[in-house]
Amino acid sequence: PSRPVPTLAPPHSLLPREPGCGSRAGFPLLLRLLLAGGVLFASGRSLPAAAALTWLPEVGLAPSRHVAAGEGLWAPGEGLGGWVCQDSTDDTEDVSLFDAEEETTNRPKKSKIRHPVASFFHLFFRVSAIIVYLLCELFSSSFIACMVTIILLLSCDFWAVKNVTGRLMVGLRWWNHIDEDGKSHWVFESRKASPQEGKTVSEAESRIFWLGLVACPVLWVVFAFSALFSFRVKWLAVVIMGVVLQGANLYGYIRCKVGSRKNLTSMATTYLGRQFLRQTTGDTQTSSGE
Amino acid sequence: MAEAVESPGDPGTTTPRPLMRDLKAVGKKFMHVLYPRKSNTLLRDWDLWGPLILCVTLALMLQRGSVDSEKDGGPQFAEVFVIVWFGAVTITLNSKLLGGNISFFQSLCVLGYCILPLTMALLVCRLVLLAEPGPINFMVRLFVVIIMFAWSIVASTAFLADSQPPNRKALAVYPVFLFYFVISWMILTFTPQ
Repeated sequence: PSRPVPTLAPPHSLLPREPGCGSRAGFPLLLRLLLAGGVLFASGRSLPAAAALTWLPEVGLAPSRHVAAGEGLWAPGEGLGGWVCQDSTDDTEDVSLFDAEEETTNRPKKSKIRHPVASFFHLFFRVSAIIVYLLCELFSSSFIACMVTIILLLSCDFWAVKNVTGRLMVGLRWWNHIDEDGKSHWVFESRKASPQEGKTVSEAESRIFWLGLVACPVLWVVFAFSALFSFRVKWLAVVIMGVVLQGANLYGYIRCKVGSRKNLTSMATTYLGRQFLRQTTGDTQTSSGE
Repeated sequence: MAEAVESPGDPGTTTPRPLMRDLKAVGKKFMHVLYPRKSNTLLRDWDLWGPLILCVTLALMLQRGSVDSEKDGGPQFAEVFVIVWFGAVTITLNSKLLGGNISFFQSLCVLGYCILPLTMALLVCRLVLLAEPGPINFMVRLFVVIIMFAWSIVASTAFLADSQPPNRKALAVYPVFLFYFVISWMILTFTPQ
């Protein structure tokens, strides 16, 4: 069951800035929809409005990405409600730059890699951290140098994946926001599907992203167990750091993709239920067929 | 590590912008630690890059050089890491259990950044150790470490004490005292050979 709250995010300049920038209460849904629609309709250059509308909290499951703008249901994100909290002027300038660039290039196919540099670095840091860990004895006899190198690579990888490659390659982002009461909220957002060709997600990049994101933490967990059971305990600190950093990114992006925690558990249960059902009907079919 | 950014930037912005923004944020926090004022900005935008840099620097400088490459300081490196991070996590859990309203990562951020004065003390100690050993040498190092230890305590309590109810402030502050005491002890008893 999807939550029927398709709150569009109106641009900031038109609305009073609420304290904490996220409380849904006190602003009727209909009024917000009317405002958003009015702005889009009335403004000739819809770029600022488009900027505010490009980011939506938790669009939901992957197929909805191909839904056209304005249609379909999406689950609002946690914490910040349906609003997009950004410092406005900076981002609208950047969006107009981005659109200008896109107009001059050809329309790329969906399967082409649109950000080769980002894709390269997404995999480079992760894979080289693993390679250095495995081959450290061959590279240098100094344990310290290996450890510091791995720590550096893991940190660069964490920063790059969280801040750059997730945004560019699959249009997901997540961060922590502390409001004025001192409470911390974790925000997970995914970019709304836009009719423009330049902003859809390419298949190849998505595959590279998720492959790199999932395979490496699994490998680090395997290394953790092997370090523990083979008593190479001095490596345990760096391996645990690898698990934590890469696991954090994995968890954050999965939350972005899947939606709220309730969606995740319900998705898991329906998937398991379906598998179970398939098993039992498959069994009954084979037994009846014999 | 994880960062608190309210405006992560639009999709399609180029890389240098988030990088410069993050570097500036880390630098600003270091300045806040050096001149501790009661300000909310350090707590609001927490990040763990500063603690990571300080921890790695501390661990690197606390190496005992040895000729034998097999025991080349590996255990001590991991030991410093474990002490710093495990200690910070314990203090955070303690303050949360006492009912403080500070978030987990904010507390880690403050504790990590306030190691900066002790790192500077370590730098000074290593320079002083290049001179001839003796009681004067030891007194100078002791003096420097005590000053920096007090500075760390003042800086961290300026940020952390507010989050506790008034009758629990001492209970929340004494683990911080112990934490920085252990690090100061490691710095004071460090000899390169």
